[in-house]
Amino acid sequence: MRVKLAEMMAYRSHFILSVLLLIVGDLVVPLVTLLVYRSGASFPGWTLHEALLVQAVFVLAKGIAFPFFFGMVGTTLSQVREGTFDLLLLRPRPVMFMSMLSGFDPDDFGRLVSGSVLFAFAMQGIVIPGGAAWVQFSLLFIASIAILFSMSLFLSGILFRWVGSSRVFDIFDAVSGFGMYPGTIFSKALQNVFTYILPIGLIAFVPASALLGREGWGSLWTLASAAALVLLGIVYWNRMLKNYTSAGG
Amino acid sequence: MIEVNELSKKYYTFERGHTMREVIKTLVHRPMKEICAVNRISFKIEQGEMVAFLGPNGAGKSTTLKMLTGVLHPTSGEVRSLGLVPWKQRREYVRRIGAVFGQKSQLIWDIPPSDAFYMNKAIYSISDKDYAETLDELVELLQVGDVMRKPTRQLSLGERMKCEFIMAMLHRPELVFLDEPTIGLDMIAKENIRSFIRSMNKRKVTFILTTHDLEDVELLAERVMVINHGQIVVDDSLNGLRNRLGNKKSVRLTTEQPVPDSLPAGLKLLERIGPLEVELEIDTSALALKPFISQFNESYGIIDMAIEALPIEAVMKQLYEQSHTPVHSV
Repeated sequence: MRVKLAEMMAYRSHFILSVLLLIVGDLVVPLVTLLVYRSGASFPGWTLHEALLVQAVFVLAKGIAFPFFFGMVGTTLSQVREGTFDLLLLRPRPVMFMSMLSGFDPDDFGRLVSGSVLFAFAMQGIVIPGGAAWVQFSLLFIASIAILFSMSLFLSGILFRWVGSSRVFDIFDAVSGFGMYPGTIFSKALQNVFTYILPIGLIAFVPASALLGREGWGSLWTLASAAALVLLGIVYWNRMLKNYTSAGG
Repeated sequence: MIEVNELSKKYYTFERGHTMREVIKTLVHRPMKEICAVNRISFKIEQGEMVAFLGPNGAGKSTTLKMLTGVLHPTSGEVRSLGLVPWKQRREYVRRIGAVFGQKSQLIWDIPPSDAFYMNKAIYSISDKDYAETLDELVELLQVGDVMRKPTRQLSLGERMKCEFIMAMLHRPELVFLDEPTIGLDMIAKENIRSFIRSMNKRKVTFILTTHDLEDVELLAERVMVINHGQIVVDDSLNGLRNRLGNKKSVRLTTEQPVPDSLPAGLKLLERIGPLEVELEIDTSALALKPFISQFNESYGIIDMAIEALPIEAVMKQLYEQSHTPVHSV
């Protein structure tokens, strides 16, 4: 990590610009939400601050998952295509861990800044939750990070076979975009899809609902499903690694 | 130290056409082709040996090297290296080996090599004392003390390659794989790298080298394995390899009269250097040197002459041109 930070500092202006652009980019959807509410429309059953809380939790989760885990998708994409993934396999450490480290991206910490600002703003408009809600939220937030981690494993793993396809980022953006909105605005069928099939709803909607006192302790089943997803992701990634063919020498 | 038995690697690749019709056709159906990159090779390498893997592009050298380093899983066959199976006991194994790839850098482009060395210290869990001792020794041997703190992107290719060697040797490996370690280097840099390899080899570090630079082979390797079409076609010493062409020598001649293209039996024109200067190959078992010199002097008038052992390139060219093993379509 120290080396990665040193690498970033070699191009300080690029680093600062990247962080600023990420902050601005992450605030686009909340600003649109603000405009929607200012124009008199709303997400049914959700106040502006409650809707913004869901988006804040989503950005915060990405602010942790992206610098630490999602960089491995980009490094797998380029290193498998170029054959330089060989160099990670020559290190006496777990390959997945090395892949994550080489993808560590401090730029993405910018998302933590935008997420924190948004979170603080959203909290000003809701009733301060009690201790139990904070405990429930913290546990569900861990599950949210775990789900994002498993997604990075699936996306990265597929690149050992689907060599050089940068479409994986588009797939993630297209699917995860639904997670920025309160789940109840979607149809029941779609809600089930986002809970049990593509667990996008578990990234922000469920933890934010817990903080708002809308979820009972039963929602903690998410922890078990997040753990199962991580386990599945690890098995999948390691199986896909065996498909690595390197590049011509 | 290394025991390889019937090692094979097959993989499948898609055949793609280049015309618009073929490109559209491949959207629906892509014929697959089985490539046998390495075909049942077996060999042994002892500790302290310096072995060169040679072969034309696509012969299977790098694939073999990648299986020996544990990077690739073989399709079949066995390898025991340092008492371990490289791809099964990868972490334990790679801790004891080093690798330098002439075309893949282990350094980090934007930061100085010293930071990358420090990263390797952490990855290999090298103690502070061992790290300081080894680094001092390697820096001294390779004379890179003044470049270690410059960003890698500002280093010359020769300086970078020396630092690549430090990266590979910091954890004191017993076995080192070198994949074209002198590619693109000037003569001075090549000599520095070669002398470093020789000094490490004297300390019983085993080196396995793949290269297209036959000077590397002549100056470094004691044993040569030629791989072609995935099979070992020669496993011999360098002298043994030369003797495979029989009693042939290279003769460079400057004459008063031009030497014609058609020559008597036992002679072959290798190169026409100038109107009155040629390089010939002479098979002394068919035409002895003494009659050759007297005949040529009489016919063309010898002004200058140099006789040398046939260059290793000529031997390699003949081996590379051996018959092609077809790939199987599925």
